[in-house]
Amino acid sequence: MIPAPGRAPSALLPLTYLLTAAVAFVLAALAVPWLATDLAGHYYHPRILALTHITTLGWITLTIMGASYQIIPVVLERPIWSERLAWWQYGLFVAGVIGLVGHFFIAAWAGLLWSAGLIVLGTVGHLLNAALTVRGLRRWTFTARLVVLALTGFALTALFGAALGLDHVRKILPTGLFANLHAHVHLALLGWVLPMVIGVAARVYPMFLLVREPEGVGGAVQLWGLGLGVPATVVGLLFQSPLAAVGGVAVAAAVTAHIAWIVRMARTRKRPALDWGLRFALTGTAFLLPATTLGLALALDIVGGPRWAMAYAVLAFGGWASLTIVGMMLKIVPFLVWYRAYSPLVGHGAVPTLAQMSWPRVEGVAFALLATGMGALAVAVGAGKVAWIRAVGIVIAVGTIAFATTLARVFHHLLPCRLGGISVARPSVTP
Amino acid sequence: MADRCECGHHAVGIAPAALAAIPDTRRLHLDVREDLRRGDAPFAKIMATVNMLGVDQALEVRAPFEPVPLYTVLAKLSLSHWTEAREADDWSVWFYRDPAAPAEAPGGVASAARAPERTVTLDVRGLEPPQPMVLVLQRLETLGQNEKLEIIHSRRPVFLYPQLEGRGFVYETDEPEPGVVRIVIRRGTV
Repeated sequence: MIPAPGRAPSALLPLTYLLTAAVAFVLAALAVPWLATDLAGHYYHPRILALTHITTLGWITLTIMGASYQIIPVVLERPIWSERLAWWQYGLFVAGVIGLVGHFFIAAWAGLLWSAGLIVLGTVGHLLNAALTVRGLRRWTFTARLVVLALTGFALTALFGAALGLDHVRKILPTGLFANLHAHVHLALLGWVLPMVIGVAARVYPMFLLVREPEGVGGAVQLWGLGLGVPATVVGLLFQSPLAAVGGVAVAAAVTAHIAWIVRMARTRKRPALDWGLRFALTGTAFLLPATTLGLALALDIVGGPRWAMAYAVLAFGGWASLTIVGMMLKIVPFLVWYRAYSPLVGHGAVPTLAQMSWPRVEGVAFALLATGMGALAVAVGAGKVAWIRAVGIVIAVGTIAFATTLARVFHHLLPCRLGGISVARPSVTP
Repeated sequence: MADRCECGHHAVGIAPAALAAIPDTRRLHLDVREDLRRGDAPFAKIMATVNMLGVDQALEVRAPFEPVPLYTVLAKLSLSHWTEAREADDWSVWFYRDPAAPAEAPGGVASAARAPERTVTLDVRGLEPPQPMVLVLQRLETLGQNEKLEIIHSRRPVFLYPQLEGRGFVYETDEPEPGVVRIVIRRGTV
């Protein structure tokens, strides 16, 4: 059954996901200075795996899932299939992430199995919901195609992750440990996060930058670059074949076309000034340049080893993905809170604007600390210097707390006491 | 410096008589240049000020660009405008009531004299969320029984539909051309 078009999209559902994701981001950031010694070593370390998964699953994936429940109705112009299923999925997924991160942290491999099982169940719930939402979609736009590509990547990442967990207990995968690990990471990064961000950006950035939606050959380059490049990269990494380099070049072409679209949108925007959310998102896009260059250098064996790999992971997950997500959260969360708290009051009385709900000064502090911190962390882990990692980790932790503070300020508009006595500043008018 | 008027009713360079007749003490000034430079959307602030505007008052809006979308919106509230470009990034637009101005069909859409239903058109393309929703819901509050509101949008406003239903409005949506969504809203029958 396809839901009726007029059904109200829930604001509470995506907000719950996004709030949980923000908590995971704060925990991950606080862990960076604490794990400085481990971060200066090899990436195959239980605590580094814990940090990686709280970032990729707790922060990035939960954010994408939550944002999907706000953005899918907007970009696909239809409500999600089942909010009840989305709530069940939330519980399963969060319990799974807590179990996974906890067991990675204490290096209890056997406990990873049930955690991975819960994550797979939560993932199946999300995929089912998404598949039934897009079922019968008549207009397969660029965004819709990339969302489906991303969901396919997500399904394969979760299955591969569960297989990796099982492989620790009983050897089931024919390929080597590091080959599996590299393939799993790239399936998540290039097969899940990248197409989702690229697809949604093509529809959402024009809304915020006030420009026409991008079109042209760049869309085909992105679609085919990812559609062919990601499987080639993952298979190439699994079997340690030159296919990984070929796939890497195709993905790099897709990323380049995506960057070109973003640059064009930013240059032709009608919006006169960029708010901090957009600055975060555009800075995140800028991180794609060093991340892609380094990824390509790794794929082509120009550079190698754990230090370069760690720097690459920080640039991709910390610089590009995290800064982009922070930026989008600064746009999405105020809208959802405003919608839930104030949309019924519009036309009946004064309601605050999104700008009045935000806290630009603290957002600016978060931007300065996180943008410089992520770049510096890539250098620090690349150099393997414990003191540098600890110092930069503190900068990132403070920046993350500043970001969380701005979100808390927005969320407080949902408090009943706040809604009971809305106070909106009158515009200052000089006679 | 150049003066111009989008509506074409007034001579270039000279303030229209109805505006010139309004004394300084009855003129309000709202400068939104800093808001826009910060990236804040000043629409709600402008509308709040317009709602306070007396029939014998004029409002000057200072903006870093010509705020063309405002003309249509405020024309529906029977406000004429007169625009002065002080600098390339400093525009001054006066909104005032002109008794001599021809009655404009709401929304700038000509409606037939004998038409039983008047169409009010709002073009909300190019506005950042949630401004389209705010604009539409505010306009609906003054929608007459014989009026329908036609929204020109760049996408289906899925967050607006439940608000319309909750307020007793009925609506139809179509796409007259690619990338353009039209929503026609009427008061629901009791």
